Amino acid sequence: MLTRISGGRVVDPTAGRDAVGDVWIEDGRVAAPSPRAPDRVVDATGCVVMAGGVEVHSHVAGGNVVLSRLLLPDLYVSEAAPEGHPFAHAGGSAAWIGANYARMGYTTAVEPAMPPASALATQLELADIPLLDRGALCVLGNDDHLLQLLRGRAGAAAVRDLVALNVATARALGVKCINAGGASAFKDGALNLSLDDEIPTYGLSTRKIMTALLDAVEEIGVPHPLHVHCNNLGLPGADNAFVATLEAAEGRRIHFAHAQFYAYGVVDPENPMTGGFRSAAARITEAMEAHPNATLDVGQVVFGQTVTISLDILRQFAGRKGANPKKWILTAGDAEGGGVVPFLYRPRGPTSSLQWAIGLELMLLSRDPERTILTTDHPNGGPFTEYPRIIHLLMDKEARDREIATLPAVVGARSSLPGIEREYTLSEIAQLTRSGPAKLLGLDDRGHLRAGARADVAVYRDDRDRTAMFSRAKLVLKDGVPIVEDGEVVAWRAGRTLALSVESDKAMARRTDAYLQDRFGQGLDSFAVPDAAFPVADVFEEVACRA
Amino acid sequence: MAAWVKGGATDAETAIAAAAALLAAAHAPVVTGLCAELAAVRAAFHLAGTLGASLDTAGAAGTYAELGSLSRTGAMTTTPAEAAGRADAVLVLGAAPWDAPILRDIAAGAPSRGRAAGAERTILSIGGPGNGATRHVAYPAEAGGLALSVAHLRAFAKGHLAGEAAYADLARRLFGARYGVAVYDPAELGALGIEMLQGLVKDLNESTRFFTLSLSGPGQDRAVVPLAAWTTGQAPRVGFGRGVPEHDPWRFDSARQVRAGEADAALWLASLPSPRPDWLGTVPSVAIVGAGGPDAVAEAAEIVIAVGVPGESTGGALWNEGRATVTYRPATGAPAALTAADVLGRIRDRLTEKKGA
Repeated sequence: MLTRISGGRVVDPTAGRDAVGDVWIEDGRVAAPSPRAPDRVVDATGCVVMAGGVEVHSHVAGGNVVLSRLLLPDLYVSEAAPEGHPFAHAGGSAAWIGANYARMGYTTAVEPAMPPASALATQLELADIPLLDRGALCVLGNDDHLLQLLRGRAGAAAVRDLVALNVATARALGVKCINAGGASAFKDGALNLSLDDEIPTYGLSTRKIMTALLDAVEEIGVPHPLHVHCNNLGLPGADNAFVATLEAAEGRRIHFAHAQFYAYGVVDPENPMTGGFRSAAARITEAMEAHPNATLDVGQVVFGQTVTISLDILRQFAGRKGANPKKWILTAGDAEGGGVVPFLYRPRGPTSSLQWAIGLELMLLSRDPERTILTTDHPNGGPFTEYPRIIHLLMDKEARDREIATLPAVVGARSSLPGIEREYTLSEIAQLTRSGPAKLLGLDDRGHLRAGARADVAVYRDDRDRTAMFSRAKLVLKDGVPIVEDGEVVAWRAGRTLALSVESDKAMARRTDAYLQDRFGQGLDSFAVPDAAFPVADVFEEVACRA
Repeated sequence: MAAWVKGGATDAETAIAAAAALLAAAHAPVVTGLCAELAAVRAAFHLAGTLGASLDTAGAAGTYAELGSLSRTGAMTTTPAEAAGRADAVLVLGAAPWDAPILRDIAAGAPSRGRAAGAERTILSIGGPGNGATRHVAYPAEAGGLALSVAHLRAFAKGHLAGEAAYADLARRLFGARYGVAVYDPAELGALGIEMLQGLVKDLNESTRFFTLSLSGPGQDRAVVPLAAWTTGQAPRVGFGRGVPEHDPWRFDSARQVRAGEADAALWLASLPSPRPDWLGTVPSVAIVGAGGPDAVAEAAEIVIAVGVPGESTGGALWNEGRATVTYRPATGAPAALTAADVLGRIRDRLTEKKGA
């Protein structure tokens, strides 16, 4: 079927497009303009047409997400759903996640923290997120097998093969390390860890583990660079950890998760842990400009109740004292650890206000929105459903000023946000939420509207109230099929789970199987993610490695 | 594949049609057991959503002792593999864990990873059978029960009680662990005992590393809980009677619902062996049970449909207690003609058709 989306303002920064025009779609793909009469015409007059949004870092599945629902069952509200999907109105459920992303015009979402040991459960959960294509990053950096290889100087090829095996077994889209070595160190009594601190019993450091993973990811040709959650998240002086990690990459591709939580400079160098923090957004921005090999996602904070979810067990253990309400879960899991700590970003509280300002600063100071991805690190900084409001604040200086006027003076005293005049354009929003994240994930078939792209398209009514505009898309197409009309889901399609097509070395598979059997009495099969485990067919779509 | 309706053998299609009719006629049906592969459990949730039924699990007593404590105070947990690899002190609470193969494995080993590697593993117990099968330092339970014992132990650990009592000695041993693990059966320890234990473990972590290891029991609750959470945002005892998933551990206790006359039909899902609810015959009921098992008989329920047993005559994703994860278990024998997920899906299809007609 040939479709023409007609007369909308087409915004595709990858093609330099920001003008009224048409978008043609055929067979689930964006097509070149056709002389043939379209079978369907969508009147997009007065609307903005963009590629579907792409999410790179949102905790939408996995053991900690499950635990957060059980710890805080009242965090989300369930509403009656007399028709349609039986669970889409069940607050916080997989179907709710898919529906709410789709309503905002997002069509792809990636879970950034899948421990290989729980890959099957995570993948089953991801597969139950409707409407979106989804994927997961497998987390490495604390497992005994990897650390043993590194300690024993087994060589880069062995590390590469083990990483490839984990990616293949877990059917992941990429690789992440979270405070590499931190979970192991915590289990051995450590309470903090910096880049070059020794990890007890292994004689390694975060630097050694991370750089080995950086090399492995490049060797394998994983399209998405190593996704790095640094040491010392959320502490005054975390900007030092960020910059040191950036420099440690030594020019290799690297992605930084939730950079806002690292953009905290020390106020009082004499009392770094007690003197509070000030924005280091300018320093982070400057460092990013000097390192074109790096990208970041923001981890914007929004005000209100949330629950923090992280495999950074060191950080979550430290954060337990700030739990609100006062309950929390820590899991010393196989290899990785993890923690679920409820948190209230107090509306108009000085600390949360400064965090809020720093996230916006990072985006507003960035000269390259394609390397500055919008996330809230859902739900750590707040729910992803706040994206429309954040976009509004980026695009509207007056709205920002109104919000800042309600906040404590620390926002002006310790961040530069009030003085920033910049207003994002629609093209820059598309870079921040479409082309940037798609490029970052190495997904050439989305994030743009050029001919040949997957026909994931969002049509918004152009409205000065950007919150309203981006909250409820007028029309969303997934693979060319309408899934949302006037902000409501109209077709409950299943997307695909994007998994990297990677060859794993047979010798390493045997070696790993023997390692697992020897220690745990069960081998690699325990963690396999076979097609047969899924209740429906064709769940996965392969993504090629870089040549 | 075997199927029976009101005691008479029949074909699967007839039994499925009868099951759909039985459930469609009910005002407040329950879907219970959920001792099955995840694909079947998922299908059961979808069926319950369509029916407006409520759901419950075979292992709910232990599951809700655990979840009640979890939602009130949280937890500090570890896995069997971590306990086996790292623990230099293991505190066993109650009698039930001594029957668990995992505990036998842990007790027989010694820490091989982490800072306690090479040390001996000390096994401590409160209220254990003390049968001498495993060498351990046994402390008696208090007369008031296991939960009270944990409360007293915590009071000694916190310094709220003092003296040379046995629990003072035990508390010192716990603080001396480098990686301690407290093993318990949630159904035995109960919600209050678990809550107290989690408090004790959190206290211990102010100066060392100590975690809990809750044994999962024989059913599939540990796999059902996450599926319930991602499907409905809530734990398994959910009702769909008002079109919205409502979670209520008391209200949607299926045995209570039947006893109180609130439920007027039941679907029992047990493709894996699971004790048949003693109330099943008191309401019109459908049993979807593993072929060849003791419940694959005409008298198990009004309608009985035998299906593939996961890991034997069909593949399925199941809880793997040894690795604390969900693992796919392929069929090891001849494949069954029907799976539980097929049957549940076909019942749902018939109900949906009927609604649409």
